[in-house]
Amino acid sequence: MAHIAVQHLKYRYPLTDELALRDISFTVGEGEFIGIIGQNGAGKSTLCQALCGIIPSFYKGAYGGKVLIDGEEAAKTPVAELCRKVGIVFQNPFSQVTGSKLTVYEEIAFGLENLGLPREEMVRRIDHALELLDIQALREQNPFDLSGGQMQRMAIAGIIAMEPQVIILDEPTSQLDPQGSEEVFRAVQKLCLQGITILMVEHKMEKIAAYSDRVMLMDKGEIVDFDTPQKIFSLDCLEACGVQPPAFTQICRGLGLRNGDTGLYPVTLEEAHKALDQIKGGAAHG
Amino acid sequence: MKEISLYEEKDTPIHALDPLTKILYILAAILVPALYGGRTAMAAFIAASIAVLLAGRVLRRTLPILSFSFIVLITVVIIQGLFRAGNTTVAFALGPVVFYREGLSFALGIGLNVVNILLSFSILVLTTRPSDLVEAMVRLGLSPKLGYVLASVFQIIPQMTATMGTITDAQRSRGMETEGSLLVRIKAFLPLIAPVVMNSLITTKERAIALEVRGFDSRREKTFLRERKARGRDKAVNALLAVLIVLALIGRVTIWLT
Repeated sequence: MAHIAVQHLKYRYPLTDELALRDISFTVGEGEFIGIIGQNGAGKSTLCQALCGIIPSFYKGAYGGKVLIDGEEAAKTPVAELCRKVGIVFQNPFSQVTGSKLTVYEEIAFGLENLGLPREEMVRRIDHALELLDIQALREQNPFDLSGGQMQRMAIAGIIAMEPQVIILDEPTSQLDPQGSEEVFRAVQKLCLQGITILMVEHKMEKIAAYSDRVMLMDKGEIVDFDTPQKIFSLDCLEACGVQPPAFTQICRGLGLRNGDTGLYPVTLEEAHKALDQIKGGAAHG
Repeated sequence: MKEISLYEEKDTPIHALDPLTKILYILAAILVPALYGGRTAMAAFIAASIAVLLAGRVLRRTLPILSFSFIVLITVVIIQGLFRAGNTTVAFALGPVVFYREGLSFALGIGLNVVNILLSFSILVLTTRPSDLVEAMVRLGLSPKLGYVLASVFQIIPQMTATMGTITDAQRSRGMETEGSLLVRIKAFLPLIAPVVMNSLITTKERAIALEVRGFDSRREKTFLRERKARGRDKAVNALLAVLIVLALIGRVTIWLT
């Protein structure tokens, strides 16, 4: 059975006329890394919030269709229960700090205390999360004294410690410097390798191309296509959807450099290299 | 990190005491003199509080609190000393102004009471982390939601002040006059209100969602990362204070009966 199954999901925010999500259906398997791309207003964040039950529990409005997480219907489960299965990290690290805790260590424990876990289990999970995000050195610091990147990694640690099966990240690196973003991506990839399903909204296409198993391209509340990064970034309608393909794809496209086997444009440096080697090989043979 | 609490981080046995023990001390400091012993008991508790504050190395921090209350107390001394009903025995006279013994004695009682209460509260406030206090209260049965509100206020208010600073700077950089006469500052304050309020509302909404996805509304019984600190020392102090309160109660009852 699919890990996440979305069936004919439709949603309209209160006091608006247009649907933010129009008849969305897809499935995601366990342990997949899904990149979600599209221009502002495409419905990416709305979809994320529907997946973890914030829509329709927090935002009212018109809701139709079904979101099933591991067989459980998101709209019928309280967010505080669903969060054991699905965790979400938002764009703004500052507003994810609870404000009631004085150290990073206690801040990460916030969710675990709410879940009623025994102390030893909390300590084990927090230590694991700190290590995974490489923020052990910050454990005794005040959350509000951290930089944006550190704060965001703390927010991710707070979610990871709750050990959900699915983690959704809604533009988690938009306020981070290149190094901070890379650290977040590496940590997320580690999680994915441990079997956690990842859905990540991102505008950094190079990263999406490098890390995703599949990419969902959204526009105007609909899924335009949901396929491998190579197929998505070779689509002709990409720019019409407000998405710039990764630099490597753009260069290869300009040069007419395709993968000899699939006929698709390369999306990463390694793939571009390979395509170039194939041509060189071909030229040498010729 | 700026915090709006008077707490001062120090490593002393007083800081290490359980917050509930300190609350019990406040209760004892108020109840015992009220029940039995009157001014002698108040004076004893004041001396004890000063000793405890010294041990906690925070006595100096009580000075601003006390000096503020002294302004009020001086007016009490003057008014009661001069005009209290039942003033008969002249204590001393400054020219035509006559102070009476009864009034001064009454004012002394009020003064001791106020200083006693202030000092006993100071022990709690100056040597207990606000979050520890809130946590202790949640353990006792305070709703975790109310506990969150109380604990977060200490950090979120300074954050809002910082946001307000940023917005003021942004407006100043676009030519808004923010310094000068009172009128100029009032005029500069008005355009701040909308962005600051909007910003706070948005952040609050985002934070509410972020709390929600971390199980804030969970119906499960909450557990605590930090172990409850009640140790032998806390228990001994608690027992001592409880005995004092009970003795005072017995004293009061005996007075009634005889």
